[in-house]
Amino acid sequence: MTALRLAGALAAAAACLSAGAFAQVGAQAPQAQVKMRAKADVACRPTSTALHYDCTIRLTNARTGEPLGGVTLTVGADMPSMPMMHSVRPVAAPPEPESGSYRARLALEMHGDWALQLNLSGPLRDRVVAIVRFEPGRAESRPGG
Amino acid sequence: MDDYLVGVLSNIGIVSFIALSAWLLLLTGEISFGQQAFFAIGAYAAGIATALWGWPLGAALGWSAAIAGGAAVLVGVPTLRLHGLYFAIATLGFAEMVRLLFEQFHYRVMIDGELVGPNGSDGFRGIRYIFENDVGSLQFLALIYLLLAAALAGFMLLERSRLGVAFRMIGEDDTLAALNGLAVARLKILAAGLAGALAGLGGGLYAHLTTYVEPRVFDVMLGVHSLAYGLIGGLGTALGPLLGVVIDIGLLESVRAFAGYRMIVFGGLVAVLLIVRPRGLLDEALVHRIGRLFVRAPPAGP
Amino acid sequence: MFEVSDIVATYGKIEALKGVSLKVESGKITCLLGPNGAGKTTLMMTIAGILQPRRGAIRLDGMDLAGLSPARIVSRGVALVPENRLVFPQMSVRENLLAGAYQRRDRAGIDSDIDRMYARFPRLKERREQMAGTLSGGEQQMLAVARALMSRPRLLLMDEPSLGLAPLIVAEIFEIIAELNRDGTTIFLVEQNAHMALKVAHQFFLMEQGRITFSGTPGQLAEDEVIQRAYLGSRRAAG
Repeated sequence: MTALRLAGALAAAAACLSAGAFAQVGAQAPQAQVKMRAKADVACRPTSTALHYDCTIRLTNARTGEPLGGVTLTVGADMPSMPMMHSVRPVAAPPEPESGSYRARLALEMHGDWALQLNLSGPLRDRVVAIVRFEPGRAESRPGG
Repeated sequence: MDDYLVGVLSNIGIVSFIALSAWLLLLTGEISFGQQAFFAIGAYAAGIATALWGWPLGAALGWSAAIAGGAAVLVGVPTLRLHGLYFAIATLGFAEMVRLLFEQFHYRVMIDGELVGPNGSDGFRGIRYIFENDVGSLQFLALIYLLLAAALAGFMLLERSRLGVAFRMIGEDDTLAALNGLAVARLKILAAGLAGALAGLGGGLYAHLTTYVEPRVFDVMLGVHSLAYGLIGGLGTALGPLLGVVIDIGLLESVRAFAGYRMIVFGGLVAVLLIVRPRGLLDEALVHRIGRLFVRAPPAGP
Repeated sequence: MFEVSDIVATYGKIEALKGVSLKVESGKITCLLGPNGAGKTTLMMTIAGILQPRRGAIRLDGMDLAGLSPARIVSRGVALVPENRLVFPQMSVRENLLAGAYQRRDRAGIDSDIDRMYARFPRLKERREQMAGTLSGGEQQMLAVARALMSRPRLLLMDEPSLGLAPLIVAEIFEIIAELNRDGTTIFLVEQNAHMALKVAHQFFLMEQGRITFSGTPGQLAEDEVIQRAYLGSRRAAG
């Protein structure tokens, strides 16, 4: 049946392409080297402006538990219940005096659960996701987030 | 390139997969509210493959497409006997069932001193392939669009093929298609399988882009949007659903003119378009006219 | 020779065909008359495989068609021009013709058959790149006939080809039916327009409430008093 043959060809083409893309990606990846990983605690509190929140982010080395200073951090946000539909432009989170502490001010579109995307660059490139529920006058991080 | 721009473009690319998936079924005349289920299956499958089993990304993406396509075939066999509204409701029911199953799905493995893996409604964190392997966000963007281009090229070939014509015939009138000698049931299941594989591939990319998925991501909102993109953009060409995605995420979302009211604007846009152009902006008639412009172009004679 | 024996078909609990038997001679035009709701369309859909018979046999030149899928039945050489759903409206005239040749692989043969269709139906040629949905009713009927012929059927089934068409167009359609038959196509036709059918058909069956209640030649049909009153009526008396 031509229909099945064509579908097979399409599937094969897709497989080749994805394999090719992987080869390109994998070529630059030094394998078997365990990388440092970041862990984050996020605490947000409301400000005097509605839907604006001040968030303090404490980054630690996931393996040693030491504070993670000196990284460049930006914070973006996305709503899990509406994925990719309400992404908040990432804001810079400058470091606080305390090592491993960073602060960002978020302007959200609506209340509800947001997945904060903490993008680390500089000495460590990583992304940590924290789920925070923002309500009028309060914000609560989900445990494990 | 600006991080935000890269993020938006990545989102547009990934949503395009599930929009194409819903569109392929629209092409065969079926409305599915459930393509997010296959997106979810692909996301979990690919995430598990790289984060828990240590697979390379390419293999994980192939696996996500295969398992989602396989699931779509299995679901398609009983549900495609239903028509119209009944099929739409069956797909919605199936997708909600999948989402609830993922809420109960725990598969945690100790990796590098930390438990990783799907943890029910708390989600699945740490799909960190692109960070562990130093895939830059631009590189990942290129991967998304490379695969999207491959999918589109596949659709262009499909449009010109016997199979593509068969899908259109079934979409317009499946009884008449059967009377012309098409094995309608088998072709519909094939379409459902291809659509599932596309959604699964998109899901696999999504999991690796965000590094985090949870069952809530895959609720009916995503399915309704992906369906709406095809309806807005048009049924005439595979570029239709992409146009829908660009209008919604590229314009309405990124321009931010409507802020939190965007969904209302979007819903209104869908309603108006369904009345004014029931087969979308790039409908068959328009595509046909554009096609004839090229055919009719006067030959460069002496 | 096409033969239907003792076909029973049901819609849920309602018996639409209660044991229908009839024969269609090769190379002839056979017409099935009957009032609305008699089961004529059900019979056509059952022969084409869209509906499955509860029991009974359908044979074309000795091959059993009952229970086969519509696609298989097309491959056995049966094509149906259904009532009311004639064309794929969002596809061009040419694409509709190609649709009829879906099961064929001989590109050259398909192309020459399309040319033959254009020669027979010049209006389709004029409109070959037009969307089929934009054609007039008569043109759509012609396209539907041409499309069915593209599968090179041994038996052409037509369900009420005159439905909803203006009298002049109906006459044209029947001329085409006669022409096709002269070229050797066996035609089995459902028709309510008994006057037109009398001009072309060689054999008649009358179906009422799921049963065949009369069979005969045009002469016998015209002589049957009951049929005359019910189907040919005052117009015949006047003419």
